[in-house]
Amino acid sequence: MSRDEVADDKGFEQFEKFLEAWSRRDFLKRAGAAGAYMAFLGGAVEFLDACAGGSPTTTTTAKKGGHVVEGNFSDIRTLNSMLSSDTASNQVIGLMFDGLLNYKANGDLIPALAADLPKQSADGLTYTFKLRPNLKFSDGQPITSDDVKFTYQLAYDPQYAEVSSPRRGDLSKYIASIDTPDPQTVVIKTTQVFAPFLASHGLYGILPKHVLGSLSAKAINTADFNTAPSVTSGAFKFVSWEKGQQVTMARNDNYWAGAPYLDQWIYKVLPDSVAVTNQLKTGEIDIGPVDPGQFDALKTTSTVAMREFGVPTFTFYAYQLDPSKPAGPLFQDKAVRQALLYALDRQSIVTAVFFGHGKVANSVEPPTSWAYKDKPQVLVNFNKAKAESLLDGAGWTKGADGIRAKNGTKLKFTMITNAGNKQRESMLTVMQQAWHDIGVDATPNLIQFPQLVSQIVSIRTFDLFLVGFNWSADPDVSPLYHSRNAVPGGFNGADFKNDQADTLLDQALNTLDRTKRKQLYGQFQDLMSDLQPSPVILFNNGIYGVNTRVQGTDFGPFNQFAQRPWNHGVWVTDGK
Amino acid sequence: MLAKYVARRFLASLVVVLGVTLITLVLMDRTRGTYVPGIDLNPALRPEDIARLRADLGLDRPFYIWYITWIWGVVHGDFGRSMIDGSTVMSHILDRLPNTLELTGTAILIGIIIAIPVGVIGALRHGSKADHTLTVVSVAGFAVPQFWMGLILILIFSVTLEQHGLPWLPSSGAYSAVNGGDFIDRVEHLILPATVLSFFYMSTWSRFIRSSMLEVLSQDYIRTARAKGMSERRVVYLHGLRNALIPLVTLIGLELPGLVSGGLVVEVVFGWPGIGKLAFERALQYDYTTVMGVTFFATMLVIAGNLLADLLYGVLDPRIRYS
Repeated sequence: MSRDEVADDKGFEQFEKFLEAWSRRDFLKRAGAAGAYMAFLGGAVEFLDACAGGSPTTTTTAKKGGHVVEGNFSDIRTLNSMLSSDTASNQVIGLMFDGLLNYKANGDLIPALAADLPKQSADGLTYTFKLRPNLKFSDGQPITSDDVKFTYQLAYDPQYAEVSSPRRGDLSKYIASIDTPDPQTVVIKTTQVFAPFLASHGLYGILPKHVLGSLSAKAINTADFNTAPSVTSGAFKFVSWEKGQQVTMARNDNYWAGAPYLDQWIYKVLPDSVAVTNQLKTGEIDIGPVDPGQFDALKTTSTVAMREFGVPTFTFYAYQLDPSKPAGPLFQDKAVRQALLYALDRQSIVTAVFFGHGKVANSVEPPTSWAYKDKPQVLVNFNKAKAESLLDGAGWTKGADGIRAKNGTKLKFTMITNAGNKQRESMLTVMQQAWHDIGVDATPNLIQFPQLVSQIVSIRTFDLFLVGFNWSADPDVSPLYHSRNAVPGGFNGADFKNDQADTLLDQALNTLDRTKRKQLYGQFQDLMSDLQPSPVILFNNGIYGVNTRVQGTDFGPFNQFAQRPWNHGVWVTDGK
Repeated sequence: MLAKYVARRFLASLVVVLGVTLITLVLMDRTRGTYVPGIDLNPALRPEDIARLRADLGLDRPFYIWYITWIWGVVHGDFGRSMIDGSTVMSHILDRLPNTLELTGTAILIGIIIAIPVGVIGALRHGSKADHTLTVVSVAGFAVPQFWMGLILILIFSVTLEQHGLPWLPSSGAYSAVNGGDFIDRVEHLILPATVLSFFYMSTWSRFIRSSMLEVLSQDYIRTARAKGMSERRVVYLHGLRNALIPLVTLIGLELPGLVSGGLVVEVVFGWPGIGKLAFERALQYDYTTVMGVTFFATMLVIAGNLLADLLYGVLDPRIRYS
């Protein structure tokens, strides 16, 4: 294709075809013709602008073939469902391994490998699962109750104590035994009534016993299967993991819900959220999580459809409540804790820091939860006057320097969060200003994430920390608020200890009836709205950009990362 | 003689390796706090799980015990497994080494190819407009941060070109996610990161060549060569350039570890799956074994690069003899 042919003889009509044919992959192959479009630039810029977006072709019937490239920031760590503890790994495992159960978008349980939700014994201790008939692994071997038992054994059976499973704490505590009366039936006996059992532990990807069963516990930690699973039970099977670059997966024709439409699903590792935005624009990736700050940059891109929904992810800050720590005495009085929260204009934080993509929290439970109480006993809205009167009433009066003090102790402390998280950094700045306005001297201090985690779970010399957290579908929040998790390694780093809170949380864990649980969590939310040991600032929104050629995705609060019951139904309109 | 020299240098380098790895470990260990690598704020984890995983990684022991265990493994050719993903450290390094060599090797090559003529022109015509222009470009080369230049190139050659329906270059990775990996595909992905990196090398080295060339050209033997009636071309390239290149050999020899780590910033910005990016990410996650493995590897390369530069001196300058 010479310069003359394109530029002079064929005209715009030809040039349009030429552009369409010019895929990025052929860049160098066609570099010889590069002069052609340069020659055009002078006269044809408007034309080029006009044809830049292009309208997506919509086909109503799904068709087989093609691929989807999903972008994300983190590489995976393992593909073994019993060893993983990070979101990225769980997300990719979810594409290749199905559990007994799965979540609907709202977090309700639905059967996956199980034919139905399990039958529960009257005492609430025994769950009986029936597997779907004719389940097969990707290699054609049947998926039986033995595989299910084996999978759970890795994390609860003392025989497998050497398997480094992050799930051992819970599973070994709650599972008494697993029986397999026949290849389709799994009977799990639990040691005590534990309401979140199914929601927390019924979704682990089922592993093939015929591949891993012969390995010793120690060998399972380092099995090749963890990095290159030869056999899978989910919609896709494993092709390759090029570390730091991508995981490639291909259609599993033996999938119980029907073979996926797509030939391949590719999980691609990207440097950061800016790269996700750029590559959604260029079409290098089809699906990717979008930073709130990038939302507007993508909204105008005609090839990308935006999906936005509330998620159980939240940002909160915690006061040091251990009186033996330097700042502990400052926060013992709930009036101080409430006053500081009243002084924060959280709606402005949502608007300015999250560009409106979030929701001010009224409660410690997320709005996505069935247990959420929108109007708990104490509803804290931005009210500077109230904040000042609360502090005055509690005896914290302004000194000559404008800083409040009581009995010679100044209301002065340091706030920590992890450096590099722009939103959290901005929030600390806003808090510093807002609290300065009511005579409180709070200084931000940015530290590395590992140091922040150390501070929260063990060292605990902080005054106040700000961090994010993510709940599962069950409304149990005891990891943050139960006194038993104030021990080293637990996440109750604020050292919040309250008998009434403990009782409510324990009762709710031992109650199976959802209506009764909801009441208990309602009372708990009322209590927390009054005590405010660690106020939740806001609940985040999940935002995904999806290329318009991709059909059949259905992101939702609980169908975001690992649990995507719709993944086998995703297809692409252009078949590429 | 030479063999003895190399052997002695090698023995001395063992001390360096021990020192560097020990310092790396102490720095990591002292700043880690009680963080357990790979453990995020995951509410599904219980305190006893975190304690057990810490013990599984050997982090419940003092760092010197950990170090001795590690050295023992290295002596036996075992670099251990990553604390984050359980893969062997060696597999991580070998997986990414080709990508890194592809990027930095290309950049260094382009850097040399451009730097030599640029430096020579600058020296021969010093004070001219061309020299001033090249000086400005070179100064820009080390003044402009690589991450910034990388982002700007991505914005122009990837996003903007694509938005206008023009042919564009991929902005991250070493090859396409789908059916990628053939030669042309890899070259397309290489263009932007290699441009940023080679610009830096070119700027640094061209300045060195320029000043070294200026110095050499003022030497007596150059005047003698000219006086003998030798052609200017022979004077500049045979007598001048060969001598002027000697300092460059040291510089490039010192860049040998840069083959592995030199592209760190560029690798991070372009999501290039290389060793620099690996080391950077794993250091932030306190993946002791991987960081130690890469450190060991990089230290060996620094030593080898220095040795190679010293030996090359002997080739370029017959006056140098090793004893």
